[in-house]
Amino acid sequence: MRRSFIAGVAAAALGLLTALPAAAQDFNWRAQDGRTITLLLNNHPWSQAMREMQGEFTARTGIRTRIEIFNEEQFRARLTTLMQGRSTEVDVYMSLPSREGAVYKRAGWYTDLAPLIADRSLTAPDFNYEDFGAGMRQQATLDGLVATLPINQEGPLFYWRRDIFARCNVAEPRTVEDIPAAAQALRACDANQGIWAARGLRGAINYALTGFINNLGGSYATPEGRPGLCQPATVRGIEMYASLLKDYGPPGALNHTFTQVIELLGQGRIAMTHESSNEFANIVRFPGRADDLGVRVLPPGRETGTSRPVVIGWGLSISSQSRQRNAAWTFLQWATSAEIQTRLVQNGVAPPRASVFSGPAFAAWVAEQPIRRAWAEALVELGRTGTGVYQSPTDRVPEARDIIGNAVQQVVLGRSSARDAACAADPELARLQ
Amino acid sequence: MVAPALAFAAAMILLPFIWAVWLSFQETMIGGEPRFAGIANYRRLLADAEFWNAFRLTLLLYFLSLALQLVAGTWLGLLLARTEAARGFVRTVLVSPFMLPPVVIGMMAIVILDPGLGVANWLLAQIGIRPRLFLADPETVMLTVALVDTWQWTPFVALIVLGGYLSLPRDVFEAAEIDGAKTWQRFTRITLPLLGPTLVTAAVLRSVDLLRFFDVIYITTQGGPGNASTTLNILAYRRGFEFFEFGYAAALMVTLSALVFGSVLAFSRIRRAVAW
Repeated sequence: MRRSFIAGVAAAALGLLTALPAAAQDFNWRAQDGRTITLLLNNHPWSQAMREMQGEFTARTGIRTRIEIFNEEQFRARLTTLMQGRSTEVDVYMSLPSREGAVYKRAGWYTDLAPLIADRSLTAPDFNYEDFGAGMRQQATLDGLVATLPINQEGPLFYWRRDIFARCNVAEPRTVEDIPAAAQALRACDANQGIWAARGLRGAINYALTGFINNLGGSYATPEGRPGLCQPATVRGIEMYASLLKDYGPPGALNHTFTQVIELLGQGRIAMTHESSNEFANIVRFPGRADDLGVRVLPPGRETGTSRPVVIGWGLSISSQSRQRNAAWTFLQWATSAEIQTRLVQNGVAPPRASVFSGPAFAAWVAEQPIRRAWAEALVELGRTGTGVYQSPTDRVPEARDIIGNAVQQVVLGRSSARDAACAADPELARLQ
Repeated sequence: MVAPALAFAAAMILLPFIWAVWLSFQETMIGGEPRFAGIANYRRLLADAEFWNAFRLTLLLYFLSLALQLVAGTWLGLLLARTEAARGFVRTVLVSPFMLPPVVIGMMAIVILDPGLGVANWLLAQIGIRPRLFLADPETVMLTVALVDTWQWTPFVALIVLGGYLSLPRDVFEAAEIDGAKTWQRFTRITLPLLGPTLVTAAVLRSVDLLRFFDVIYITTQGGPGNASTTLNILAYRRGFEFFEFGYAAALMVTLSALVFGSVLAFSRIRRAVAW
């Protein structure tokens, strides 16, 4: 009796010991069934797709979602107001770590996702965080805190109308210096054809400008880590960007951001632009564009031989003030899963997961059109050579970009030379350090 | 009976304003607790070239738009007073611009005034005028914004003028006519002086709106090109919500509020002066 009792206790203890880890690993998609989470999103192809797919998430998890989508400025204003007011209203929000990561982290607005990723009871066994590219994981990690899960990767690409270049017998630009020359040749060929468009709105300029600066050998920073707009190669980049806009851009370009640029390219009113990879799906929706466009990263500098584009990735964060942390984490996993990312490719969202990028579904989609292949190759190049830094060294990123954008606008307006504008901006940028 | 109204006013108007004043004396860090900074934000404001530029543009927009709207509104109101046919229909049509949300006005302005694609330049070309950049030219952006606002709000002024005109005693006009006063004389010596209080009321209502003008500028230019349309409101918004300097933004807004109060006070004195 005594022996059987001891054996029974031992068996029970052994069973308990072996059962504990098994229970801990028993992830359940419906563990948060019945909860409701609020998402605050930037207006983006990814967000629009999420709005359409939210019913599927609810069907799978039982979690209801309230989605608020705003244009970028209003999105940031609302997020700032809610977070600064310590509101618990938002559970999940989109964030661009390269822009606001340092400030939001200092404010304590991010939930550290690392413990959630490591928790087997909360994280699906096939989640595989390492499947996200190393560069993107690095951008999403701020001093050891995992602030976001990447939802896309994007950067500005050089789009050009192959048919117009062929009709005018103008060689397609092989170096960044060829672009102004090509613009001049196209103007001479057809005075009625719009040549160039790019972002001219102050706060939006940096994104498209940086490739010109980098490829010509410039940098926003000096080797000592000070603002370096006044460096000769950087001035050349600013000069080229501003001159293209001034001499070959559409009237009113200084109020243009990606929406106007995409419209001009899509409608066939311009021959070249440097605009976001993310807008690819919107561009090729216009009749004819899938057939007559070329796309690649901005051509390298003639002397430098390198192309160093901007690459950024939006991410999903959980608000540190959320009371629905686990439900929010369930959403993040679902929304960034390989299954969902594979489907999002159809909406032109470049997948940040390596398995999706090299998977059969993406390969089949890419193989359908040559322009898709060119776009995919450009994305690989963005991931391989891109940089997330596109302003002088500071945590006060929006202000720095505003100052640099203002300098470029002064050149476009003809109020200042590129050198004077750039050199005048450096002391202002230094105050932000 | 007055207590609920007072409590409502205090909760909805006074408390937020007091909070804004308190915030303007703080140094704020995003996500952190505000720290008392004395008058540092106001001292910074006085030395800030962007503030003075915004101050100048705010006043420019204010005086330009107000003058245009009062002149055009008075003319339109008096014209309406003489319109007999389809009076109800005309008034309904006139109401529509200022019933439209500012975002619609802004989007309409973008589409119509786009230098390349907009209908405005096409119309100008039909009468031999070369294309304009409108909102994209630092030299013309404020005039363009003032004209957009004038298009929207002139009918509002006109309806106030119409109401005021119709309530004036008719015998004064009949006496002037019998005495042989010409149309222009009747307008300058009788109509305008009698309409004085009405025009001041219209001016007060438009002043408050014009000084805190935001939506259309933000939608169409975001304060650009350069800083050419960065009014105090736009500057405060950018400082607060884009650069997270809430204390400084509050100082800007308190200054703007002082301008609004000053303008209302000035008009209340003018109203007493023109009363009859």
